[in-house]
Amino acid sequence: MSDESQTGTGQLKLAENLDLTAVTPLHKSLLSARGSALVIDASEVERIGGQSVQLLLSASKSWADDGVPFEIGNASDNFLSALALLGVGPDSLHVKEQTQ
Amino acid sequence: MDMNEIKEIFFQECEEGLAELETGLLALNDGDDDPETVNAVFRAVHSIKGGAGAFALDDLVSFAHVFETTLDCVRSKQLEATRDVVKVLLKSADVLADLTNAARDGGSVDPARCQALVADLEALANGEIPASDDAVADEPAAEAESAPADEPAPEAQAEGEDDFKPIPVQFDDLEEKGDDFEPVPFSFDDFGTDQAPSANIFRIVFKPKPDLYLKGNETLLLLRELDQLGTLDVACDWSELPAIDELDPEGAYLTWDATLTTSEDEDAVRSVFEFAEWDCELTIAAAGEEAETAEDAAPQPDVEPETDESQPDTEQEDVSASKEEEQAEPVEKLELPNVIDLQQAAGANRQQAAESAAAPKAQATASASGAGSTIRVELGRIDRLINLVGELVINQAMLAQSVTESATSGSSAVTMGLEDLQQLTREIQDSVMAIRAQPVKPIFQRMSRTVREAAEMVGKNVRLVTEGEATEVDKTVIDKLSEPLTHMIRNAVDHGLESPQDREAAGKPAEGIVKLSAKHRSGRIVLEIADDGAGINREKVRQKAIDRGLISAEATLSDEEIDNMIFHPGFSTAEQLSDISGRGVGMDVVKRSIQALGGRVGITSTPGKGSVFTMSLPLTLAVLDGMVVSVGEQTLVVPLTSIIETLKPETEHIHGFGASGQLISIRDSFKPLIDVGQILNFSNMPTDPLAGVALLVDSEDGGQSALLVDAIQGQRQVVIKSLEANYANVPGIAAATILGDGQVALIVDVEAVVSASRSGALKSEMSLAAVG
Repeated sequence: MSDESQTGTGQLKLAENLDLTAVTPLHKSLLSARGSALVIDASEVERIGGQSVQLLLSASKSWADDGVPFEIGNASDNFLSALALLGVGPDSLHVKEQTQ
Repeated sequence: MDMNEIKEIFFQECEEGLAELETGLLALNDGDDDPETVNAVFRAVHSIKGGAGAFALDDLVSFAHVFETTLDCVRSKQLEATRDVVKVLLKSADVLADLTNAARDGGSVDPARCQALVADLEALANGEIPASDDAVADEPAAEAESAPADEPAPEAQAEGEDDFKPIPVQFDDLEEKGDDFEPVPFSFDDFGTDQAPSANIFRIVFKPKPDLYLKGNETLLLLRELDQLGTLDVACDWSELPAIDELDPEGAYLTWDATLTTSEDEDAVRSVFEFAEWDCELTIAAAGEEAETAEDAAPQPDVEPETDESQPDTEQEDVSASKEEEQAEPVEKLELPNVIDLQQAAGANRQQAAESAAAPKAQATASASGAGSTIRVELGRIDRLINLVGELVINQAMLAQSVTESATSGSSAVTMGLEDLQQLTREIQDSVMAIRAQPVKPIFQRMSRTVREAAEMVGKNVRLVTEGEATEVDKTVIDKLSEPLTHMIRNAVDHGLESPQDREAAGKPAEGIVKLSAKHRSGRIVLEIADDGAGINREKVRQKAIDRGLISAEATLSDEEIDNMIFHPGFSTAEQLSDISGRGVGMDVVKRSIQALGGRVGITSTPGKGSVFTMSLPLTLAVLDGMVVSVGEQTLVVPLTSIIETLKPETEHIHGFGASGQLISIRDSFKPLIDVGQILNFSNMPTDPLAGVALLVDSEDGGQSALLVDAIQGQRQVVIKSLEANYANVPGIAAATILGDGQVALIVDVEAVVSASRSGALKSEMSLAAVG
């Protein structure tokens, strides 16, 4: 995933377009971030599909199982409205709304 | 499809609705307290109202609305369905039927009658007993008075008025689809019942498969489309979601459970999933619906049999058991019993049908869900098919004959092939006839109205009991049955039953019973109209017959003969011509119309116990089993149903009678011997009885006669061709047929020949010489 940048503190920036083609790279990024606290930046997200949400949910669950903090911050409106439409409550993904 | 065709479908639906309404009301009348019966009744009126609203049939809508409001009170148990209440409801059903007919065929319904009933219905809804005394029986029905709840229903009604907004149907987009448009039975059931105006609630359970995403579909977009249809409430179930290291990023693990409140119908909801249907597990159920019909589930495409997955449901486990191995992830969340997997719907329907067969009360639901398994076909098309099959039978017979004539060995392949063909033809014919066969139920239902109206007119208390409503008979017979049956029912109410006072004096219940039953007996349908009245007053009948010069004062007549006098032209025993039977139509007309159908009618009567009219009719007017006989140089067909036996007369059995008459003695009784050739003017020379064959036939008055013919050729099924339609009415001849050799053979009207032998010749203006 080209746009995503992983920092030493376990940060991940989600791409603008999280459709089918973005799922596998995102999966890889998440797998490599496993084990440490993770903050995901969703500020750029314009479009997100069911499989990406599924992936994020799985990550959230896995991180919780590991007892490691997991958070999605700076969620864009599009990201939030997609979650709402998909019936996924922001809490399930530990989403913090966009601050700007 | 234009507007008129759609309207026609609506009226057909109305007819079904009205039938259901009447069935339900009669069940209530008989003390049925199943809430489903009340619901079915309510639904029927509600659907008619909804449809009528779409077509702006205001009279119908406003009457149906008041009717519905009262039914709603019954449904909510604010109003108890006592006999008196049901009586008003039944009358309202009659008016609703009249209004529907008026809307379809033009004409109008007596506004005063409507008004009076509207007032009655409103009174009932308000917890009052209707003012009009005719609506209330002799007993003031104390229970009805105490029954209505303390809070009367005016609010319910007012609410209902606000509630109801007819929803016009948009037909515009139908045009675009052109010929592809398949008429879909309208269902107005969902028009704003208990919900906000016209709100349908659907529960949609949707579980994508990985293929769904691979093919470019997207859950989010599907849900967004749903969201645009109304108010969507979605819950996502990720209980099956694995940890991230076990997860296939292109897999599909989530299930969405959505509740959609929309003004759209189910088709609109379903169309959202049009391109995704095969790549997901999908359940769409209207709230409160028990199951979806098999037709709603689109057929499984052959190309992807592996998509045949099923979701376990408590009710459906047996059905899905066989598919269990293919079932990747059971969806535990489906706890609502009203959600049934689409792909199992067919099985569910079968199960439901089986259950309802065991429990007749559930019939309403069963027929509602079974409705999808029938199609409407124009009668004309079926008639054409039947005609063609008739031609096929004739053609096959002709082919058989020419093969027989030319073939030397009887076991040639051609002959054997022909036998198979013959069997096949017979089967095709039977199947085609079965298409046109219909149960007598609708006509029986119409009779309950006839009874109600007739009883009211003559001030009697009458209950109609029906039996064998499912008995099937050809549609053409059904259509012609209505008139004689109506007349006989009226006759039973008017003449058969005594007045309530007389009945009580005779120790009978004040309420008289007319029983209408149908059954199959030896290839015919037998209809009985029985009353528990006083029976035929034979003294009176006999006196009247003497007064009218029908019989001489000295004549000794058997009871049976006296009873049968009532079928004599112009005979009426009613001392005063009443409104209902004094319409210039006597029982003789009934008899003639039944005979015209190839039927017979008879009467048995027991003084003090009542009378039974028995009609026996052929099951079809298209084919007939007949005895093919030769008379002179002609070939005739005698209907097998009228022949009792055939015999070869011997010298000692033949006795002269009068100038030219002859009698034949059969087992110590004398029967008139009728020379068919002479009666039909085929020959001037009398047939030699010893050279011919006698056919013993039944005649309508219960007597028997022997028809003398030259020889019997055989017995076969023949296709009836109307002489009236193709040529002209010929006395003594019922119809014609075409035989295997291509010759036309005439079918003998046995009754006419027998009565002609008594009264002289057949009417000579159309003698057979002119035909043959």
